[in-house]
Amino acid sequence: MESQALFFRERAAEKACDPRVQKTLQHVRPLFVGKRKKGMQDLAELGMDFDKLQQSAQKIRDRVVKNLDVWLELFEAQAQATGAEVLWARDGAEVARLVVELAQENGVKKVVKSKSMLSEEADLNAALAAAGVESIETDLGEYIVQIAGEAPSHIIAPAVHKTKEEVADLFVQHHGLPRQNDITALAREARGVLRQHFLSADMGISGANFLVAETGSAVLVTNEGNGRMVTTLPRLHVVVAGIEKIIPNLEDLATLLRLLPRSATGQGISNYVSILTGRPPLEANASGVEGPQRMVFILVDNGRAGLLGTEFDSMLRCIRCGACMNHCPVYNSIGGHAYGWVYPGPMGSVLTPLYTSLKDAQDLPQATTGCNQCAAVCPVGIPLPELMRALRRRAVETGLRPWSERLAYKLWAWAATHPVFYRWGVRRAVRYLKWLAGGEEYIRVLGMAPGWTFGRDLKAPLGKSFQEMWADRKG
Amino acid sequence: MTKKESHSPRAEIMARVRQNLAAVTTVDAVTRKSAAEETLHSGVRGPQPGMAGDLVERFMQKVESMSSTTGRIVRREDLPQAVAHYLGENGLGGDAVISQDLAALDWKGAGLAVEARGAVNADPVGITTCYCAIAETGTLMMVSRPETPPTLSLLPETHVALVMPENIVPSLEDAFFRLRRDFSAMPPAVNFISGPSRTADIEQTIVLGAHGPCRVHVILGA
Repeated sequence: MESQALFFRERAAEKACDPRVQKTLQHVRPLFVGKRKKGMQDLAELGMDFDKLQQSAQKIRDRVVKNLDVWLELFEAQAQATGAEVLWARDGAEVARLVVELAQENGVKKVVKSKSMLSEEADLNAALAAAGVESIETDLGEYIVQIAGEAPSHIIAPAVHKTKEEVADLFVQHHGLPRQNDITALAREARGVLRQHFLSADMGISGANFLVAETGSAVLVTNEGNGRMVTTLPRLHVVVAGIEKIIPNLEDLATLLRLLPRSATGQGISNYVSILTGRPPLEANASGVEGPQRMVFILVDNGRAGLLGTEFDSMLRCIRCGACMNHCPVYNSIGGHAYGWVYPGPMGSVLTPLYTSLKDAQDLPQATTGCNQCAAVCPVGIPLPELMRALRRRAVETGLRPWSERLAYKLWAWAATHPVFYRWGVRRAVRYLKWLAGGEEYIRVLGMAPGWTFGRDLKAPLGKSFQEMWADRKG
Repeated sequence: MTKKESHSPRAEIMARVRQNLAAVTTVDAVTRKSAAEETLHSGVRGPQPGMAGDLVERFMQKVESMSSTTGRIVRREDLPQAVAHYLGENGLGGDAVISQDLAALDWKGAGLAVEARGAVNADPVGITTCYCAIAETGTLMMVSRPETPPTLSLLPETHVALVMPENIVPSLEDAFFRLRRDFSAMPPAVNFISGPSRTADIEQTIVLGAHGPCRVHVILGA
């Protein structure tokens, strides 16, 4: 997917003023936050401590990330030993090329996909369509954004920006069936339409929530059951997964499974967890066990290796739960589409500059309140605000920020280190602002920086600086 | 190594990974690999859940809390009658597909027409045993084998599962312990099922019966 992060400021402003976007954001935010809270209560009822579990999860992820070379070798060897094939892709374009080749070699006409954010990085659906292969997204949210011709706006709830009326419009347009108005009937209709696709597809593409090195398996966590359909019915199963997705063993999987669904949707466990493992081709044909005859892993770099050995390597711990965006005041003001690439919210503000370009995406890590809620809820302890700060520092150091901003900070730094001047400046400023308010409680238009009061009012100062008031009190 | 291999995507990615890790680690790859191999099969568990009270009762409570229904039988022979009762009560007809290990029971006598095979789209009801069940989360653990086809718990709108009390284990780790004990190689699919399939993708409103079964009925055996 081509990054549109360059237009973040314009898009964010647009979304912040779009009543439709605001309405859906206001509707879902308390739901997401409430669900996670319930998930944490459930954890406490099991006598488990979030902090301890988070520390364990962080250790599991760090163990792999800090030794990724050896874990990649171990996973590959085990996957091959079970009978699966392992391919490697340096970037998104290579993923697309490999998948299209696999489809063509195997005479594939129709692909069913379960949700994979990495396949969004690779623009996989467009590549398959260009090769004449029909590719159907089967996660209901992904399916909705696919037929709408849009991109997901949330990593676990891709169509969270759509109202049920919009979904009903889309279904009428694409299914040619009578209009359904309630959510249950809409979901039912999608079930019927997508069931036919599951049954007629030749190839299933899934992502992987985890790759287990011990068993050479892919793990899928889903609620709808589409992950199971995609990996059970078609004759060929292709797993597209980032190289950082490896975890050592099944005990580690158990620990991470206690955190992932709870952080994402508050569930103690998702409806389905599938551990999928390859098998020798001969056995696949003869044994009578249902499932694909062939399993292919595509291990993808696309920027991930570049984070190793840097101050950003903790970002590779991410298990894509979405808790950071659900709790983010910035995400909840502008929604996912403003971010302009695959990943929104705090994790996206770190990943987009690192995986695409800091120059084009430099405004993303600026869009933070520093409230630290994202880091507090992160199940693998990623210090997201610190990483965003490090990206801002890097943008300054590499001369990406505009001269006016650099000058402003230089002036500020000078003033802040010259107390006499600073005190004098503040006294002038509060008197000016009081005068500007003209007896009103709020300043509607700030003379020197009208942009600041475009979407809000500034409370007028009382006309004296804090230090003056302090001195008056003492006197 | 041929020239082509050294420029293969795998070689390039591995070289990039090694080079970047070299900046922060002083331990050589051989030492790190043997340490990793040790963790691979260490079996060391993370923080464990504490569960007070009866395991079986907790499991049944959890099952119900995730929108499944439950029933109990006292003898294995009673399963067909119990299933017939459940299907009758819910107007779900009398046709079903079952897993091989349930084929010896008298289904005809209970008025049900069953076939022991994998499910196809038209099958309304799938009846299975389960490999083991997890009290922590109220989860059924299913293993794909010729005699227990995974489609039985996937394609039909209704899934009925028989759970034997001796197969209920406390935690996920206990289930994995059994899996390693009983299988020399991982089965192609190990599926954990916790209630009927669901989606919240339209306006974050939960709807039961997304792509998998709309109803899951768990019958506790004895």
